[in-house]
Amino acid sequence: MELNNMLDFPILSLAIFLPTFGALIIWLFIKNDNAVRWAALLTSVATFIVTLPLIFMFDTSTADMQFEEFHPWIEAFNVNYHLGIDGISMPFIVLTGLLIIICIASAWKCIQTRVKEYMLSFLILETTLIGVFSALDVMLFYFFWEALLIPMYLMIGVWGGKNRIYATVKFFLYTLAGSVLMLVAVLAMYFEAGHTFSMLDLMDYPFNFQWQFWIFLAFFIAFAVKVPMWPVHTWLPDAHTEAPTAGSVILAGILLKMGAYGYLRFSLPMLPDASQYFAPMMIGLSLVAIVYISLVAMMQRDMKRLIAYSSIAHMGFVTLGTFVFTVQALEGAVLGMISHGFIAAALFLCVGVMYDRLHTREIGDYGGVVNQMPIFAAVMLFFSMANIALPGSSAFIGEIMVLLGTFAADPVHLSVSAKWIAIAATISVVLSACYTLWMYKRVIMGDVIKDTVRSMGEMSKREFALFVPLILLTLWVGFYPVPVLDLLHASAAHLVEQATTTKLDAAAALIEHSTALSAAAN
Amino acid sequence: MADVVFPFPFPEHLDLILPEIIMAVMGMVVLLMSVFISKSKQNIVAWTSIVTCVVVAATVLNVAGQDVTTTFYGYFELDAFAAYAKVLMLVATVFAMILSLNYIKDLANIGEYYTLMIFSVLGMMLMVSATNFVVMYLGLELMALSVYVLVAYERDVLRSTEAALKYFILGALSSGMLLYGISFLYGSTGSFMYTEMGPLIASSGEDARLAVLTGMLFVLAGLSFKVSVAPFHMWTPDAYEGAPTPVTAFMSVAPKVAGLVVFMRVLIDVLPGLQEEYTTLLIFLSVLSMAVGNLAAIAQRSIKRMLAYSTIGHVGFMLLGMIAGTSAGYAGILTYMTIYLFMTMGVFGIIIMMRRDDIQGELLDDFAGLSKVRPGYALAMACLMFSMAGIPFLGGFWAKYVVFIAVIEQGHIILATLGVLFSAIGAFYYIRIVKYMYFDEERVAFNFAKELPLQVTVVVSTLIIVAVGLYPEPIMEMCKSAVVGLL
Repeated sequence: MELNNMLDFPILSLAIFLPTFGALIIWLFIKNDNAVRWAALLTSVATFIVTLPLIFMFDTSTADMQFEEFHPWIEAFNVNYHLGIDGISMPFIVLTGLLIIICIASAWKCIQTRVKEYMLSFLILETTLIGVFSALDVMLFYFFWEALLIPMYLMIGVWGGKNRIYATVKFFLYTLAGSVLMLVAVLAMYFEAGHTFSMLDLMDYPFNFQWQFWIFLAFFIAFAVKVPMWPVHTWLPDAHTEAPTAGSVILAGILLKMGAYGYLRFSLPMLPDASQYFAPMMIGLSLVAIVYISLVAMMQRDMKRLIAYSSIAHMGFVTLGTFVFTVQALEGAVLGMISHGFIAAALFLCVGVMYDRLHTREIGDYGGVVNQMPIFAAVMLFFSMANIALPGSSAFIGEIMVLLGTFAADPVHLSVSAKWIAIAATISVVLSACYTLWMYKRVIMGDVIKDTVRSMGEMSKREFALFVPLILLTLWVGFYPVPVLDLLHASAAHLVEQATTTKLDAAAALIEHSTALSAAAN
Repeated sequence: MADVVFPFPFPEHLDLILPEIIMAVMGMVVLLMSVFISKSKQNIVAWTSIVTCVVVAATVLNVAGQDVTTTFYGYFELDAFAAYAKVLMLVATVFAMILSLNYIKDLANIGEYYTLMIFSVLGMMLMVSATNFVVMYLGLELMALSVYVLVAYERDVLRSTEAALKYFILGALSSGMLLYGISFLYGSTGSFMYTEMGPLIASSGEDARLAVLTGMLFVLAGLSFKVSVAPFHMWTPDAYEGAPTPVTAFMSVAPKVAGLVVFMRVLIDVLPGLQEEYTTLLIFLSVLSMAVGNLAAIAQRSIKRMLAYSTIGHVGFMLLGMIAGTSAGYAGILTYMTIYLFMTMGVFGIIIMMRRDDIQGELLDDFAGLSKVRPGYALAMACLMFSMAGIPFLGGFWAKYVVFIAVIEQGHIILATLGVLFSAIGAFYYIRIVKYMYFDEERVAFNFAKELPLQVTVVVSTLIIVAVGLYPEPIMEMCKSAVVGLL
């Protein structure tokens, strides 16, 4: 097998297993809480540094997989340890590396109980996340995808808020129930496509429509829960609200992207005809998420809940961009995910900063914070504006590309005119301004009414430092997105081509061929 | 002087049955030893039994794999399948004996306890090697009678005797059903030999059909009782709860292995002509077991009862392999049982360790806050629970994987979908234990037993589960080669 790996060095494996290795060292040898924090930080920084060559040595001219690694794992079932990335998965690996550093650093002071277990959970989570985004074997993907539930379950359950147990069990069962259906679909595909779990082979195999239809539904459930799409989104507000700050950061920053990534990696290229067939439904659900969930967000009293609903609405844009099948919209969707990774993460950090001071997330308990924490107010203003997708922020680029791409979409695939879809989606820009700014007004602006707010002190240097990379990245992508788009372009174009090329002709030819063969045999 | 004339020639290849002979002899030796050795040194008896099992397992491996696999005029067969099952049961017994070391010390007559265990394993070994219903039934009764007594071993404890009585009555009933079914099959074919009955049943005409089907129904129902498949599972929770904990560990693995192996042999050799009929029946049994096991477990407050329902659920998943009816399916069942063995032994090791004074950790609440007091064991228990739930990087995931892939290969997609959904429901009660250990505060002070044998059991089982989770290939290959030639 020809491997495309310029470095000739297992850099993806290193990125996957370095955190676990660090976790093992910490687990076995380090006792002191402070030493644990530093060791975890060191491991996460090292992992991030390891992921950087993925950007710098990335070949933007091709849609082929790069940095590939291949080892047989379970030969009895042709399961292989096959890694590789393209322009769609690579940004998420680097983003994971960055956000995990921020998560670990953000927990420096506010996590005082079971520090070691906390850091271990994050490092193991990092392993599974990078694994999900770099796996090219379906079973390997599923392996990481499910293993991720363990650290997440513990994280919300141990360090979460008051209602944490309900939230974490709900999170666990929802996502598990969704993904076991994916397992059945994957196993069925394995036999249909001739005993292979390789994603690349499955992308090439001509499934007939019957197959595509059912497999799409199974994948849809698995990924819709993760994204989450309306109406299976209800675990997310609970999980977000109860999770510790860093848990929310990683949940919003990376975990939600896994669902959308699943659509990009599985549904579109493997099941193009079913994707076309279901596109109106997917777009409809995305619009519901964008409009209805935005309205729901407006009525929240809990800041974290509000941002959680806002995340669902923004993910609606992503799924919309995924299912209109234009290169521009698809690039916008991926860029939107990356940008949402910065902004939602930062907003959750903002809530965390306030929560560390007053231990409440209720909007009504704040008011006039700007008087006590001017720098913080500025930072939060910045990210609130970015959440509205103000021009100059990365979210703007993502949303405008999705909208433009939707306008330009080929109406043949869609039951209603693409314009109306784009117009409906544009409503959300207004709604997101409503809920974000209204929250900002109630929390930050005005006079200090509550005495508790008077006790709030300005951010420490450490807290401010957490925001710096996110601010810079949001601005950079907002003003000059070309480098990021270059990374995406070849893969996105290839993906749209895959998604718009029907497999049915090849499937019919395959059936004809096999009937001819059996006729000849007789 | 005239030569003595035997009605039969002296059986050849007796070495195939050597493991059973050693086992039977050692059972009696152990019984005698316990009488002659002073009370303070009774541990020697226990260790002798453990060494016996290890030696017998080694003997099995040594004598298996010859060209000739049958002895005693074809009534006894040691093929790769039987050899694998025997090793599995012996490993389970070794684990159970190690778990018993300190637990049983306070009870009277240690020698009898180990003798009973040895004889019940002997019965199981005969069962899996039987090629004939009579030999199988003799092995089964030897096993069952020994296990009834083991369940009642804490004879002063009401719960223990009650459990044993329930188990005995229902067990006797199921044996009766089994015999009734066998008699129907015998009546239709005139033979007790599996391989002779198979073709006759397959070619039986319309007039014999009712008898054959009735026979099949009763045989499968009788066997279902033994492996606690719903709706024949009623005895399981009571027996599990009442039995001394090491006995629970023992009976949740070893007799299940023996029962399932007989189940498979009967399906493959005796009933190949009725595959369509028995598959329908098995689908019903499997779905019902998965449903009962995974749903009823949620309502339990005692961990032993919960594990009883969990066993029912697991056996329901294993039946999927039989529904597939392919060598991949049967290999899948063996893989599942192997992984299940280590999970179960690890879990029971922890439960026994949690015994404090007279009360042992039996309620789910008892696990509250374990992660703070005993982080290491809490971690092991968490791994085992996630493994039982079938979450990857742990062995339990591959256990489910092998049976699901086998059943999907045969096109039973809806059945597989039901199965995975039940496994997702089942995950709830496994992760609830993790919840107690990690999210709740300690309620009662822990008095964790510091006993090396238990610690070793727990650590070894957990490590094996993690290792299998990361690299399942060796076990899958072993099980695959164990079913070669079976079909």
